[in-house]
Amino acid sequence: MNPMLAHLLMRLYPRLWRERYGAEFEAFLQTNHGGLRASVNVVWSALYEHIFPTRRGTMEQDSHSFLSRSVRAPWAMFGVAPIILLSIAYFVACLYLWSGWRIFLPGADTPFVRIGGPIFGLANIYFQAGKFYYFGAPILVGWAIELIAARQRVKFVWLTIGLVLTAWLGSTAHIHASRTAVHRGLGHISMGFTLGSSIQSVYESIFHALTILSLTVLPYLIFRLQRARSICT
Amino acid sequence: MRSTRNVACGKDDADMGHYSDPPLLVLASLANGPKHGHAMIEDILRMCGTRLGPGTLYGAIARLEQQGWIEPLRPEERRHPYRITADGLRVLRAKLTTLQQFTKAGLKRLEA
Repeated sequence: MNPMLAHLLMRLYPRLWRERYGAEFEAFLQTNHGGLRASVNVVWSALYEHIFPTRRGTMEQDSHSFLSRSVRAPWAMFGVAPIILLSIAYFVACLYLWSGWRIFLPGADTPFVRIGGPIFGLANIYFQAGKFYYFGAPILVGWAIELIAARQRVKFVWLTIGLVLTAWLGSTAHIHASRTAVHRGLGHISMGFTLGSSIQSVYESIFHALTILSLTVLPYLIFRLQRARSICT
Repeated sequence: MRSTRNVACGKDDADMGHYSDPPLLVLASLANGPKHGHAMIEDILRMCGTRLGPGTLYGAIARLEQQGWIEPLRPEERRHPYRITADGLRVLRAKLTTLQQFTKAGLKRLEA
């Protein structure tokens, strides 16, 4: 195997694992005749090592760590943490939108403009990236929750609570922008979490929630299926 | 010991005749003397037709070493051999005995 590729693949493993087996494993990979299948196998094994780390000596997980506490207080990890994480993510999204509004649309009454309207080039890329981040945030939070749940082997009910909460928050979140609400017209951005006033908007929110839920659950289902398959073989 | 890792099987895996419990395969491979990674892969391939992927092999090695069932020897150039410990031999014998009983019972039912 190519030494560069072998080094990159070895770097995918957790730090503590690398400290013990890194050099040895890299040397082994370099002399291995593996192609794509071997690389996929290493990537999968590295992911597995992140989820279920080998514990020994210095590789032992700290019993007072944040993750260990999640087992003792799962309500905090799966009930409160999604709210905190999403709040941080949405705060960053609002700040990003407000900055873009000031930089690229200083005279506009709203930062929500149509593509092909008054924004082009860099401004378009900026707002598209923001949109991608805004809609991707609940999915990323959901994946983080899944990773912790799989790693700590908590009850499925806690994972479900965390994912449903994340999907619900992600689907009901709405950003409002107004220029007239603030003195000197700098522009004001706020967020609300409502299902909407009309039947159509309620249906849209439910559909959005189901989409977030499906996208977050998908990697977990693939992981479980892969595991079940490897146990059966 | 559990079989949780995916293995990169040989071409004949469609016949489902392979056994793939990576830690057990590694222990069985080391039962007749110390070996390094490549030697283990080749030995396991000859023994049961299963080709372990590099990640799967080192996952099994790490877990077996953690349990004290194998131990590393002094590296030979870039190769790192391992050997089975007394505990590892005891575990391997117990596992294989269970498997033998299971195999006998299963085959007897098939013949009945």
